[in-house]
Amino acid sequence: MPAIRVEGVIKRYGARPALAGVSFTVAPGEIVGLLGPNGAGKSTTLSILATLLVADAGAVVVADRPLPAQAAAVRRLLGFVPQREALYPPLSARENLEFFARMQGLRGTAAARALADALALVGLERRADEPVARLSGGMRRRLNLACGILHRPQVILLDEPTVGVDPQSRERIFEAVAALAAGGAAVLYSTHYMEEAERLCRRVVLLDEGRVLAVGTPAELVANAGMAPRLELRTARPLPPGWLDGVRGARPLGSRDGETVVAIADTALAPAVLDAAARAGGSVLALTLHRPNLADVFFSLTGRALRDDVAPGAA
Amino acid sequence: MLGAALLKDLRLLARDRAGLVFLTIAPVVVITVAGFSLASLYGADPRGTSAYLLPVADEDGGRIGRTVRAHLAGDARVLVEEVADREAARALVRRQVAGAAVVIPPGTTAAVGRGEPAALLLYTDPVKYLEVANVRLLVEELRHGIEAAARARAAARLEKERAHAARARARFERAAQGLERSLEAVSARLRAARADAERRLAAAEAEADAAAAQSRAQLDATLEPLRSFLATLSAREQAFATWLAAARAAAGRYADRLPAPPAPPEVPPALAALAADPEGLLRRALPTAPVPHVALPPAPALPKLELPAPPALPAARLPGALRIAETSVTGAPAQLNTFDQNVPGFSVTFLLLGMLLGVSLGLLDERDWGTLERLRAMPAPFATVLVAKLLARFLVGVAQLAVLFAVGRAAFGISLGPQPWALALPAAGIVFAGTTFGLVVAAAARSRESVLPLGSIVIVTMAAVGGCWWPIDLEPRWMREVALAFPTTWAMAAFNDLMIRRQTVAAAVRPTAVLFGYGLSYLALGLLLLRRRTAA
Repeated sequence: MPAIRVEGVIKRYGARPALAGVSFTVAPGEIVGLLGPNGAGKSTTLSILATLLVADAGAVVVADRPLPAQAAAVRRLLGFVPQREALYPPLSARENLEFFARMQGLRGTAAARALADALALVGLERRADEPVARLSGGMRRRLNLACGILHRPQVILLDEPTVGVDPQSRERIFEAVAALAAGGAAVLYSTHYMEEAERLCRRVVLLDEGRVLAVGTPAELVANAGMAPRLELRTARPLPPGWLDGVRGARPLGSRDGETVVAIADTALAPAVLDAAARAGGSVLALTLHRPNLADVFFSLTGRALRDDVAPGAA
Repeated sequence: MLGAALLKDLRLLARDRAGLVFLTIAPVVVITVAGFSLASLYGADPRGTSAYLLPVADEDGGRIGRTVRAHLAGDARVLVEEVADREAARALVRRQVAGAAVVIPPGTTAAVGRGEPAALLLYTDPVKYLEVANVRLLVEELRHGIEAAARARAAARLEKERAHAARARARFERAAQGLERSLEAVSARLRAARADAERRLAAAEAEADAAAAQSRAQLDATLEPLRSFLATLSAREQAFATWLAAARAAAGRYADRLPAPPAPPEVPPALAALAADPEGLLRRALPTAPVPHVALPPAPALPKLELPAPPALPAARLPGALRIAETSVTGAPAQLNTFDQNVPGFSVTFLLLGMLLGVSLGLLDERDWGTLERLRAMPAPFATVLVAKLLARFLVGVAQLAVLFAVGRAAFGISLGPQPWALALPAAGIVFAGTTFGLVVAAAARSRESVLPLGSIVIVTMAAVGGCWWPIDLEPRWMREVALAFPTTWAMAAFNDLMIRRQTVAAAVRPTAVLFGYGLSYLALGLLLLRRRTAA
């Protein structure tokens, strides 16, 4: 039985549809990535699951409890980590955790144990008594995660938890999330970093303009998109037409300003493509191999980049 | 959960140093500055810390000049600077060093002494209206005082003269009474003398009568043989006659022949007269009035002492001085400590600003920090979080007012009224209203940037119109009626009643009830707006 079941959910802000029939599930112990560009509907979906918003239509069930009817019960089972650092900057990390533990209904030794576990999970034991305002961005992100999961919830909703985080903290967060899932929690992980989804998530829900584009494992999504690896060649001189005719399984996709993109059926064809360019007098200055990823899949499905600041295939 | 949320908000406040300064030091600074700056609104500061400089030129040098200078020097509302003459006084006013100057012209004392009118000169700078008004009032009070004293002296002197005249009159009356008594004594003595004379005269007459009677008796005794002889003689003559008649009758026709009897011897008439009338002899022998009648003179009529009615003592009275006997209807002192108005006024202002920042920005902080969103996804009811925040601010607000009133008491000697604990009622009321008003602003404001313009406009208006910055009675009537719509008005009314009018807790009950009414209304409105905002 899924810990999260979203079925045909519709949500509108005025006349603008934010979600237009979104459906997916998350099983206990599973990490599901909710992947999509800004405005795709990720935060709206998480807000509905976090009981902050009510869907206009469709069914939302968390831990076998329908929303919004049993919102109060769901909140006790839920760990919500909002995208923003939802912390009190003047208070210390420990004071923040103490407060949210009490708000989650924890008291006494249970609260103290949960607080210690959460600090250990995110690696902030030594900085626990410093005001949040003095912590680095990565530490605050980790504390943000700790405040959301210190009561060991059955369902964890993470809304882009690694935005603006240093690699070390990001790794720590990944480890913590993986540990939580390993502990049996159902994790819905919203992100627009496809590498995070590829690394952490067993399954991915590709979301765009309030619609689910595709659901599956990252490998399945890439395979289903029928995408091939690409070679990008930067040459000193433009390559002449037909320069790639002798290489089977490779075909030119386009050329512009000394850069040529070639689709290859297998990465093993890369040396042959390089030789062909050399023979054609192209004098190769740089060579980049791109394996197809979720961003490419998204691009192939929508014609738009997954992130506004990153071109498809650049990551 | 409520306790944890309350603790969290108190911790947040404790870490907010700027906020603490705003809640405590800032209002103290403003109260101090405003208290001294606005002291003239209340007729100058009675503590003398903002006394006006008042040049005084005594060109008179007499008693009135000395009195004026002495009175002004002893008044804490002015700082007297004695100058040589009116030119020096006028120069200080013209240079705007002082707003007014007093000159006692030469001859003032003499003129007043002669009963002629005299005038004190008051040089004024019309721009310094309040200062001039206050000095004018002060000089008027002084003038009235001098006149009253002079009138009192004259009245005392008149009374002394009247008493002297009354004593003289009493002495005269006593002398007249003594004279009357003397006259009465003389009269009595005269009456006694007359009585004695009359008694003596009566005795003399009696003695004379007795002597006459004795003489009469002796004469009778002496004359008795004569009277007896004469009587016998008369009887013999009678018997002879009878016999002769009988003889003649017996002689009948011969009677005529009877010889004529011899004539009886003739009794000398004097003897006969003596025998017949011894009294005549006595009258001749004895004085007809043996004791001369002495007609005692009537007692001299003593003059009737009819003293003229003493003249009525002159009823002349000096016209009484018409004074103004000012009595505070509540028994409070007539002169106000400016800080009795400013401490509660600016405390309420800063309380409301603190509430605006505390509650509104506190809730906006929660929104901006994202904690509000997180809390709403937690089991704790959002109402708990909200109540804790409001409760924390309420406690802080009450503490803020307590601190500011304590500072006001210690530093500026403000009155806490006959029942200092009663101040807790309006304090709690305005804190509650301010707290919930902060909720309204937080719910109505779209962003942090809109809180200050929206909230401060409303709070500044409420504070100013509600009488927090100046006495509400300076405002026109229509504005005072409008002010009833503001909680500040009710809070200040209660504080004024308790602190300045020195009334008891009963005076604070109604304003406090109104304040809590406002607070509940704001709470309902704030929750409604907040629900709409979060639902959207």
